[in-house]
Amino acid sequence: MTLTAKAAAPVGVLLIALFAVAIGSSFMPLDRVIAALLGAGSRADGVILWNIRLPRVLLAALSGAALAVAGLLLQRATRNPLAAPSVLGIVDGAAVGVLVFFLIFSNEANALVVSVHWQPLAAIGGALVFATTVGVLAWQDAVSPLRLLLYGVAMAAFANAIVTLMLIAGPAFRACLALIWLAGSVHTADWREVGLLSLAWCLALPVLAVLIRPLDQLRLDDQSAQSTGLNVARTRAAALLVSVLMTAAAVSVVGGIGFVGLIAPHAARLLYGSGAGPQMAGAACLGAGMVMASDLLVRAAFQPLEVPAGAVTALIGAPYFLTLLIREGHAHV
Amino acid sequence: MSESHVPPVITVESASVGYGEALVFRDLSLTIPKGQVTALCGPNGCGKSTALKAMRGLLPTRAGQILLDQTPIGGWGAKALARQIAILGQSPSAPQEMRVRDLVALGRYSHRAAFRTLSQEDSAAIETALEATDMAALSERPLGALSGGQLQRAWLAMVVAQEAPVIFLDEPTNHLDIAHALNVLDLVRHLSQTGGKTVVIVLHDLNMAARVADRVVLFRDGRIAADGAVADVLTEARISAVFDIACQVLTRPGSALPLIVPLGPLPQARRG
Repeated sequence: MTLTAKAAAPVGVLLIALFAVAIGSSFMPLDRVIAALLGAGSRADGVILWNIRLPRVLLAALSGAALAVAGLLLQRATRNPLAAPSVLGIVDGAAVGVLVFFLIFSNEANALVVSVHWQPLAAIGGALVFATTVGVLAWQDAVSPLRLLLYGVAMAAFANAIVTLMLIAGPAFRACLALIWLAGSVHTADWREVGLLSLAWCLALPVLAVLIRPLDQLRLDDQSAQSTGLNVARTRAAALLVSVLMTAAAVSVVGGIGFVGLIAPHAARLLYGSGAGPQMAGAACLGAGMVMASDLLVRAAFQPLEVPAGAVTALIGAPYFLTLLIREGHAHV
Repeated sequence: MSESHVPPVITVESASVGYGEALVFRDLSLTIPKGQVTALCGPNGCGKSTALKAMRGLLPTRAGQILLDQTPIGGWGAKALARQIAILGQSPSAPQEMRVRDLVALGRYSHRAAFRTLSQEDSAAIETALEATDMAALSERPLGALSGGQLQRAWLAMVVAQEAPVIFLDEPTNHLDIAHALNVLDLVRHLSQTGGKTVVIVLHDLNMAARVADRVVLFRDGRIAADGAVADVLTEARISAVFDIACQVLTRPGSALPLIVPLGPLPQARRG
């Protein structure tokens, strides 16, 4: 891969970010964007930029990057190119967590009795419960790639069934609230959510940095990796845990944005090679770009409707996943 | 060739090891002398590979203990242990697209600090390992483009690059033609004689064991049937008893080493 191709991705992502800030219900030319960013623009521009567009773009970028890295960690830890947060039931598990949260903490008037700020914790809880179940089931088969995938698909279907039941049985208001969240959307972005994801990233970054070398070592089979001095069990557990937490953090604020965790690591590997460090940085960059672009697309194409960005990522992601299944499903991983 | 004066580097003391419910061996005692090549031989399923894994700490001991330099094997950290013992398993695997050089570099894991790139020592060890295994010319090739013999040598290079004083090899000549098998055995002798390495090697072929080893341990049904210098252990009576075969032991032309000629299975196999 040439340097131009490698440089194209980050440049493209930056351009997308600029467009994403410029385009909304009203177009804001670049000079006004820059002026507003520097605090020199009109008051209206400043409000639109700082209160609406910037958090939305940042949230899309941070969550996309988190999902991409979470997917990479899963794929590396399980040596399964088809592993991804949305395929392994983690995203749907988080959805169950959020719906249970809505169910338990709503009063008769359908108002939440506790702060909505607790919602991310509920999502993380749901994600952990389902991820643990899939992990325990797969562990019995010594984490065979195919069986892990099958367990994940089964648990995701199970979680989906629970979600559907709770949506239908629950009050309409809650269903509406939950549906937007489920499809994955960044249009309700605020700085608190950006802060939450930034915090998750700050916590994850040192662990990710330490994990890079062990993840490269994990390309060997377990026994060979261990014989070179890698603590395989600890590496795998750390990678899976960080993956689940990053997924949960992203999903808790933006909802079920699917397939980013599957596609971004693959694209990054094609662009930046198989080294865990470059691939991780590339995946984060591409994941951020994917969610920002999806959100940009729905804003531009469906205005004034707010279509969730997750719909677009799934629309592109699902066919890509199918081709991967056909191409690599039979490969011995 | 006697091991009586050599201090043991690994001591197995009444160890029981197994997978799941089943014990592969119980109450096994064995010492691995420093600087020698020890061959573990025996019929399929006799426990020789299990013994090798247990001595590397890859399998937990149920009873008894295994000591490396007087310290229980479980008390060594993952990296510290890897700096002492390198092991090549029977079916190692790595991605097809990985280059030989990158595979060999992975052997340096236990010597590298978390965020440091390859040091000069690392690079030197990698080059030495590539040269020793005759893989230098193929170092830029992806693993998927190698023949069976080349692939096995690539893995050996990774193990050599680990620069551990003790090397375990589990049937390293499997799937190799006779020339490549002899090359591997020569490399093992070279590592032992000029590198001062302690080598434990699991081998099926007794003639190969006779060629490479200072000492042979014969396993049968999870027990040690014989343990000693090559000429003392590889006798007609012992081999017949352990493998249930009739055989003749000749003297290899040009050396004092035994040459085993299997004649056929014993009429009434005692197995079962």
